[in-house]
Amino acid sequence: MFLLNLTPDKAFFPREVLCLLEKEGLRTEHFLFGTEGDMDNEGRFCSNWLAFDEKGLYVAFGSAQIGRKKGNKRLETAYSLTSLQSIPFTEIEELKTEKYVSTGRLIAVQDGEDVAVTRFSVGCLAAMDDFCRCFNEYKKKNDISAFGKLAKDRLYCPKCGTPFPKGQKVCPACSGEKSIVRRLFQFFGGYKRQVAALILFMLVSTGVTLVTPQISTRTLFDNVLNAGNTASAETIFKSLVYVVLAIFGIRFLSMIFSAANQYLLGSIMPRVIYDIKVKIFAAMQRLSVGFYSSKQTGSLMERVTRDANNIYWFFIDGLPYVIVSIITIVGVLGFMFAMSWQLTLIVLLMVPILWGCLLLGDKIFTRLHHRQWMYNAKLSSMVSDNINGQRIIKAFSKEDRELERFKGVSSGLLQSEMKLSNTEATLFPSIYAAASILTTVVLVAGSLLVLRGEMTLGSLLSFTVYLSMLQSPIEFFSWVSNWWARCVDSARRVFEIVDTEPEIVEKEAPAKLEDFRGDIEISELEFEYEPARPVIKRLNLRVKAGEMLGVVGKTGTGKTTIANLIARLYDAKAGTVKIDGVDVKDLPLKELRANIGLVSQDIYLFIGTIADNIRYANPGATMEQVIAAAKAASAHDFIMKLPDAYETRVGAGGQDLSGGERQRVSIARTIIQNPKILILDEATAAMDTATERNIQESLSGLKSGRTTISIAHRLSTLRDADMLAVIEDGQVTEYGSFVDLIRKKGEFYHLYQIQAEALKAVGIGD
Amino acid sequence: MATQTQTQNESETLFMKYVSPADCVFYKNPQGFLALTLRGENYGRVALTRALPLSMPDRYICITDMESNELGILESIADFPADIRVMMEEELKIRYYCPEITEILSVKEKMGFYYFDVKIKSFKKTVAVKDISRNIKQLGESRIMLTDADGNRYLIPDLAKVNKKSRQQIEPYLY
Repeated sequence: MFLLNLTPDKAFFPREVLCLLEKEGLRTEHFLFGTEGDMDNEGRFCSNWLAFDEKGLYVAFGSAQIGRKKGNKRLETAYSLTSLQSIPFTEIEELKTEKYVSTGRLIAVQDGEDVAVTRFSVGCLAAMDDFCRCFNEYKKKNDISAFGKLAKDRLYCPKCGTPFPKGQKVCPACSGEKSIVRRLFQFFGGYKRQVAALILFMLVSTGVTLVTPQISTRTLFDNVLNAGNTASAETIFKSLVYVVLAIFGIRFLSMIFSAANQYLLGSIMPRVIYDIKVKIFAAMQRLSVGFYSSKQTGSLMERVTRDANNIYWFFIDGLPYVIVSIITIVGVLGFMFAMSWQLTLIVLLMVPILWGCLLLGDKIFTRLHHRQWMYNAKLSSMVSDNINGQRIIKAFSKEDRELERFKGVSSGLLQSEMKLSNTEATLFPSIYAAASILTTVVLVAGSLLVLRGEMTLGSLLSFTVYLSMLQSPIEFFSWVSNWWARCVDSARRVFEIVDTEPEIVEKEAPAKLEDFRGDIEISELEFEYEPARPVIKRLNLRVKAGEMLGVVGKTGTGKTTIANLIARLYDAKAGTVKIDGVDVKDLPLKELRANIGLVSQDIYLFIGTIADNIRYANPGATMEQVIAAAKAASAHDFIMKLPDAYETRVGAGGQDLSGGERQRVSIARTIIQNPKILILDEATAAMDTATERNIQESLSGLKSGRTTISIAHRLSTLRDADMLAVIEDGQVTEYGSFVDLIRKKGEFYHLYQIQAEALKAVGIGD
Repeated sequence: MATQTQTQNESETLFMKYVSPADCVFYKNPQGFLALTLRGENYGRVALTRALPLSMPDRYICITDMESNELGILESIADFPADIRVMMEEELKIRYYCPEITEILSVKEKMGFYYFDVKIKSFKKTVAVKDISRNIKQLGESRIMLTDADGNRYLIPDLAKVNKKSRQQIEPYLY
């Protein structure tokens, strides 16, 4: 066994698996790379281990049974091997993956033909793809140092055996909740004294409420309104007055403490929530563009507002009541016991039954409420869809059909609401009936005790008062666990954002660029948004400082992606983007982005005035500069036509500008930014050629020393380019000056011809 | 002149010509993949994709070569002889295969993740689902698609056919 020689990062598989492979004669320490799949070639789930070394590719199938040995707390996995294939290294030309609907297949190319190796679930695609790339790199260059050991995500939690969702640092099934709760309470760390005072006040105010029945009922009935009281009418009257005064006194005290409670709570909670919200927002600002595009913005916004609110309401409403309820129950039971242990026993026996009924009712209601909520959500999204699409509905005359659809969904909602209210009508009275049975039993038993002289009337009466005090805390406890679960769930989602590591991270000690010239060099760039679907494949491009490069290509070939990668909004999978000879990953992010101006097709204008939007990059810009920038962007004229001119409010809920107008404002914004590198991504696509020409003229006036990359479909946009590049299928296929490319008669010439002919067909050109 | 070419193009694009079964010779290549000779030209390995995989799995099948160029569209698999049909169905089965859940043993919720203990034929698996509202989809009357936290998909082809316990376990999470 050579396992002892294996360095930890070379152990691609668990030790037991390596042993099994060694038994079959494989030298596992020679493995260069390995990965795991989950299916065999027939699509049956099993364990699948793949590895290669310089001699060949090894494909092993087997099984992994996770179980707990008797008496052993830790989980153990028993591995077994069912088959092992070896394919000689020299016979395989390359490995590739194919992605299907829910599965994928690993294919080896042998003698120019595709040969199936294994299949896997689509979740393994990224790992399989990495495996193929590693194999192919090794085949070509004999060098796989770039692959190192890709972080091996644990497949199963060692403590509880449940599958580990990808990207999680902690197993949610076992350790999650405690640490979330701890972190939640940490937010209160700065308010320790207030929290202590709060709890103290709650104790006092509840304690006071608990004492009340002793005086208002027991003492009143036993000592004052006692039929057998032989004291004089005057003494009785005086005692009555004292009792009433005592009651008022207690009430007053309780009121003061309650008010103090609310005041304290009101001073703590909003501050804690403020802290949480700021933390979330700060975390969101740190995250990269990739995070925002993968999660829908709707759910993110929901998170920030709704989850913070869930936490707030639980702590301000739920938690205090939990504390009060606990104190009440303990106190009440204590008093009850002191007055009559027999009755207390009866209560203790019957309460669990009541509790059980409440829990059952709660389960039923949660289900019904959920269904109703579902239909409501469906309905409101249908309505919103309908309102947004009115123009299309009218254009196709589909109003009647939309009405039918609405009726359909509404009737579903109707059914579920009726079911809910019917259930409420049956269930609630039943629960209350059960509760009143308890009271009746207590009264009957108590009456017997009183008749037998073992208990006073006053005691019995105050006992019933205490019993009624028990009811609401018990009811509360039956559904508070739901509330708590929702609060913890919200907290978990909040912490998920706070914990997510941003994808784009600035280097520890970023390089300092003395003089930002704007020389761009892209080499061997590779990028993909999703695993196994590369968008940029080994791209090489060079733009000299101060030069204008025109980029053309069909839709979806990766032109916008290049712009994103230069501005480091995403990090490339392989290859480098260098500015002035320094890798963008080594530059400080702020400086990098301040010097790159990116104008794209989708323009986002913030809520504010047009002037604010133009000034966004430099809030200190003077009005002269703003107007000059607007003039250069050919925006000044249309702005002046608006009633509020530069003070027109735009953005969500503000003035609606047309696509071309927004693009011009955005160009003005970039002019104020005055970046050394200007990337125009279809920036003038929504404008007519005359306006586009004007803008180009202004921009070229401002162009000296500025490196410009202009991405366009319309060749007229690239009129001023010094050099042109054609991007096809993620690579640069043609590069040169306008004359060079026309002479080449390649893709560029083809595009040029199509556009020229289109003009001819309308009778222009020739 | 411009209008004439226009109508000609219109008729070509609006009325699709199906590839007729007589022109297709499907066969299995030595490596076991489906291959096609169409109108005398051998394209080697081809892929079959369904235009309506949910409602009409055997009609409107697109044939593409390995470079994703479409070679034609078949109106219906039923137009082919039985032995060829078997080959085509096999290829489609591999492409469209989705693990099917035959039984749901339990559903536990922890920290917003839902752990489904399921049986896929005789294989037991625990599926971790995140963001449950987004990852359980009801496609049609009783067809349900479950996506786990790793991106793997699982299908319950007909909820009415699984046992009552399984149905009860999953019902609270359906839309």
